[in-house]
Amino acid sequence: MNEIKVIIADDHKLFRNGLEELLRKYDDIKIIKSVGDGIEFMNCVKNQIDADVVLLDITMPNMDGFQVLKELKTVNTTIKPVIISMYNDGNYIAKCAKMGAYGYLLKNTDESELVLAIRTVSKGKKYFSAEISEKMINFMSTQSISENILSNKETEVLGLLSKGLTTNEIAAKLYVSSRTIETHRGNILKKLEVKNTAELIKKATEMNMI
Amino acid sequence: MSIRTLILIIINSLIAFVIVVLAFSSYKEFSNVLNDRILQQLNSIKTLKKNQIEHLIKSEWEKFEISEFYTQNWDSALVRLPDSIKKTNGIHDFTPYHVAKKTTIGFVLNTRRGTKIKILDYNKIKNILFERTGMGNSGESYLVGEDCRLRSQSRFYPSTIPYTLSVKAENVANAFQGKNVATIRKDYRGIEVYSVGSRIAIPNLKMVILSEIDVDEVTMPLKKLRERLAGLTFAIFLLAVMLSLFLTRIITNPIKNMQKSLKIMAQGDYNQTNEFIKNSNEIKEMFEALAHLKTSLQGAVKFSDDMGKMNLNTEYQLKSPNDLLGKSLLAMRDKLIEFRNNEENTRILSKRMLVNGMENERRRLSRELHDGIGPYLTSLKHYIENKVENEKMKKEMKKIVDDTIAEIRLMSNALMPASIDDFGIGVTLTNFIENIKKSTTVTIVYEDLTQQENSNITNHQAINLFRISQELINNSLKHSNAKNIRITLSEFDEFISLFYFDDGIGFDTNSIKLGSGISNIKERVAICNGTITINAVARNTTFEIELPIES
Repeated sequence: MNEIKVIIADDHKLFRNGLEELLRKYDDIKIIKSVGDGIEFMNCVKNQIDADVVLLDITMPNMDGFQVLKELKTVNTTIKPVIISMYNDGNYIAKCAKMGAYGYLLKNTDESELVLAIRTVSKGKKYFSAEISEKMINFMSTQSISENILSNKETEVLGLLSKGLTTNEIAAKLYVSSRTIETHRGNILKKLEVKNTAELIKKATEMNMI
Repeated sequence: MSIRTLILIIINSLIAFVIVVLAFSSYKEFSNVLNDRILQQLNSIKTLKKNQIEHLIKSEWEKFEISEFYTQNWDSALVRLPDSIKKTNGIHDFTPYHVAKKTTIGFVLNTRRGTKIKILDYNKIKNILFERTGMGNSGESYLVGEDCRLRSQSRFYPSTIPYTLSVKAENVANAFQGKNVATIRKDYRGIEVYSVGSRIAIPNLKMVILSEIDVDEVTMPLKKLRERLAGLTFAIFLLAVMLSLFLTRIITNPIKNMQKSLKIMAQGDYNQTNEFIKNSNEIKEMFEALAHLKTSLQGAVKFSDDMGKMNLNTEYQLKSPNDLLGKSLLAMRDKLIEFRNNEENTRILSKRMLVNGMENERRRLSRELHDGIGPYLTSLKHYIENKVENEKMKKEMKKIVDDTIAEIRLMSNALMPASIDDFGIGVTLTNFIENIKKSTTVTIVYEDLTQQENSNITNHQAINLFRISQELINNSLKHSNAKNIRITLSEFDEFISLFYFDDGIGFDTNSIKLGSGISNIKERVAICNGTITINAVARNTTFEIELPIES
């Protein structure tokens, strides 16, 4: 059975040592290198070091985890990064996942989960625990990124405008200031290249936007 | 000396001078005229009497000439005539030869038949002389001999022999030289009289007739005139004084009023509203000028008052291009505005530096907790995993460490979420509110409308927006009893808008303290050069915060 070759990248030596000692109990996992920052790790990668998984901290001096993830995409390597971080917020998780992380672990993750993650990722699968996945999905669900010309908010404003509501009424309904609605309206006019609300309604109807 | 006294003295002394000169000259003129008239009258009386006497004597002489008696009809015992007289024909004054020195006029004529001598009846002359028509009470006519002794009886001394009374005056001598004299002099009594005289035109009879009247009697009307003039002068003067008093009142009252007004103004009170009588154009204009001065000073005072209260938006209209006071006041205002702006800028700058320092310290502490303590705790957990044999104990210990790590995470996030630096304000607020929702039943809806990529919100603005939101949510949860909280953070090309709503009980924007939460929010908006509109009504409390995009 092949050993899983693991690199630990974290600026806390004590943490690295603890982790090494923890994983030493497992025969299939071998810590081949332990580095203190991103640059040191990237040097190893560039020296064609043979490793399967890197346990990567986000917060590191010189080069942090995000930059490492970005750099890894530019080099030819098979090392699969697993983030091991103190941050448990959805945005961190989502960002790391988006940037190519194979897994996301909290630093106080239990030993069993840590080992499971390493083993899963080493087979080329991604590992996000249920808890981590939930956090990530919660965060992503709040992000209103629209593929349309208008943003979701702008579409909402357009709908209310077409119903004949005044700026103040829309503002009260959407829990924003009147000036915000005015600005949204102005932006909508600009995006649809029309001069006034009447033209806007006409064009929006033609485009089946309302 | 007051202006009134001055005018009084000048006017009255002028009037007094004029009156006195007029009175004196008219008196003088009158007295001269009187003198002339009196002397003329006396002269005519004297001439009349002289003619009468001359006529009498001449007619008597003619009678004497033709009479034929040569008897001596005179008492040679009474009149001792010297031979020289007896030999000289003509009319003679025998008085010096009279034993008793009684006035005697005699005729002497020597013819071939002898010497004729006759004594003229004195009573005839006396009758003529004593006729005193037109002579008043003290007038008299009398004859004086060559020896300056009287020849006719004095009406004042009827019992005295005229010869014993003598007149010592040069006009008698002048009269003897044939001159007509008219003068004022002392008579034989030593009393001032008007006197005219001339010689009786009879050869040998050396006599002068004098007509005299007492000055006292003549000048009686003059005295009366003098008294009347004095009275009149006094009356006119009195009138003049009264008139001038009235006049000076008219002139000086407005001046006094003006002085009063100016005095009050000099004491710094420009609000007096005294109305004054303005009785001439000049005075009216003067008061108008004063009123104008007063209004401009009041304007200046009001303006300065506003300056004092730091109402620096007050405008001041210059009264004229030479309004130096106004100009310096305006310059002062501009300086004050400059100072205030500088002070405001300095205040905001120092506040910003203070807040930045505080936030940096929080960031450092947050990182220290998160990245410093955190790894030690995870290491401790690894140690426990590796070294602790007892499964139960191991589990408990791991739980304590995990709880501690969770706590540290909370503290670190409260101090300064690392997200702000790594992901910006939109995401950070999302995380923050997700965490709060776990510990409250209040519905919080947050809408993040910031730019995901390429956000133009600065880190400084992000931190302040985060703190403001933290404070607002904290206030709503603690004080408002709100069921719903809505937060929208919108980012536009020109500005960032943070809209906050809750349906709580609201608060009084003027008196609320909220542990100075609101004032902290306002301070943070100010140091970001933003604006804040608070609408704190029950069930619909809103905060509209706008920050400018700085890039």
